[in-house]
Amino acid sequence: MSDLAAATRPAAQQTSFRVLIVDDDPDTVVFLGRLLAREGMKVEAEYDGAGALAHIAAAPPDLVLLDVLMPGVSGFDVCRRLKNDPLTALIPVVLVTSLEDHASRVCGIELGADDFLSKPVNREELLARVNSLRRLHQTRRELESRRLAAEIQRKEAMRRTFARYISPRLADRIMAESGDGPFESEAQRINVVALFADLRGFTRLTETLEVGRVVDMLNEYFTVLTDAAYRHEGTIFGMAGDCLLVGFNVPFAQPDAALRAWRTARAMIGGFSPVLDRWLHRGGPSTGVGIGIASGEAIIGNIGSPHHMSYTIIGDAVNTAARLMETARASEVLVAGPAYEAIREAVAAERVEARGEVALRGKGGATPVYSISL
Amino acid sequence: MSAAGHKVVVAKDLEDLIPVFLKNRHKEVDTLRVALASADFEQLRQLGHRMKGVGNSYGFDAVSAIGKQIEDGARSGDRASLEASIAGYAEYLAKVEIAYE
Repeated sequence: MSDLAAATRPAAQQTSFRVLIVDDDPDTVVFLGRLLAREGMKVEAEYDGAGALAHIAAAPPDLVLLDVLMPGVSGFDVCRRLKNDPLTALIPVVLVTSLEDHASRVCGIELGADDFLSKPVNREELLARVNSLRRLHQTRRELESRRLAAEIQRKEAMRRTFARYISPRLADRIMAESGDGPFESEAQRINVVALFADLRGFTRLTETLEVGRVVDMLNEYFTVLTDAAYRHEGTIFGMAGDCLLVGFNVPFAQPDAALRAWRTARAMIGGFSPVLDRWLHRGGPSTGVGIGIASGEAIIGNIGSPHHMSYTIIGDAVNTAARLMETARASEVLVAGPAYEAIREAVAAERVEARGEVALRGKGGATPVYSISL
Repeated sequence: MSAAGHKVVVAKDLEDLIPVFLKNRHKEVDTLRVALASADFEQLRQLGHRMKGVGNSYGFDAVSAIGKQIEDGARSGDRASLEASIAGYAEYLAKVEIAYE
């Protein structure tokens, strides 16, 4: 056992307050260590400046008692480096030195030392100064804990708000990143998979239903759809009437974007089935979810005016998915050719019907379309 | 140094540390002698400075006082004074009587 370990052994009630003693004289280290350990502090030691800097970098203590005159890196140098580094600047440093001259004290103050002790060390003075800094340290730590707790609460509130508009996982990523995350970048052109979902014939039915009931039904419906989208980490770009636009591979890369879109479609239609049963049981309208899926290049970015911005997605894939959705029947997913090729192996062949090349409204040329009935 | 000057009172709670403390002081005498023989005044100054800082802390005021003499002697390069101080230090350590209170 080292001299220091033996000297500090009586400490029965060590707290988390850690003091690093830096002195090239082992007897001074042992003496100071004994006094502080009896106060319940955890004492560690280094015998030169370089060792102290390495020790502090690896495990920052709560307080440093620092000798000034040491071979190699002096106590002044150690103090200067600690106080110039934002990571260690707040660690209290007490210079313990035989230097009585005024100039050395001024130098220490200029370097940012928090207090001074003269050698030979008077034990009452040592304990008074260290305990004073310990109280300050504990107060600072409590304040920091409260600040952190408040910050966590604030971020959690923001995350919850965010998560109402985008998938919770995407919200977590954005909150974890500095700045505006994926929203800060300029508009860009990337390959996406767009999924449009719509409640077949519902718009017409709303004209005959009582307003409160329409809202309740839409809330039930969108709960199922958004849950499915978030489960597969889609980004919801738009919700209008009973229509929902979900993007994949955006704003973060998803190599399996088409599969995610397909699984989302399946979950939407499957999840809506019990909702529809309840509606029918209450005498509600017969309807169902129709979905269109297409892949291709699209422009992603913040679009709008200085007064209102929307993070949105524009392009042929979106238009195609919208057109497919318009023609999809209840519980039917219409998938454009390239997107279908990416999910072909995941779809039960007996559910698929190739519609061939279809001319979609507003689009030049024909698009290969596959119908999947669920 | 008088007989009374060889008596020190050490805090009871430091008693278990004193054997190592004295052992280190005896080693210090040897180091001082070697440094003086080689006229290494910088080392003598550092050793004196260290003695000055540690002696009183343990209750050995004479160690601090002799340390200051050695530090000053080393600064001025006064060999005779240093020889006398080191001899006085060795004598003090040989005769020191410790009481624990």
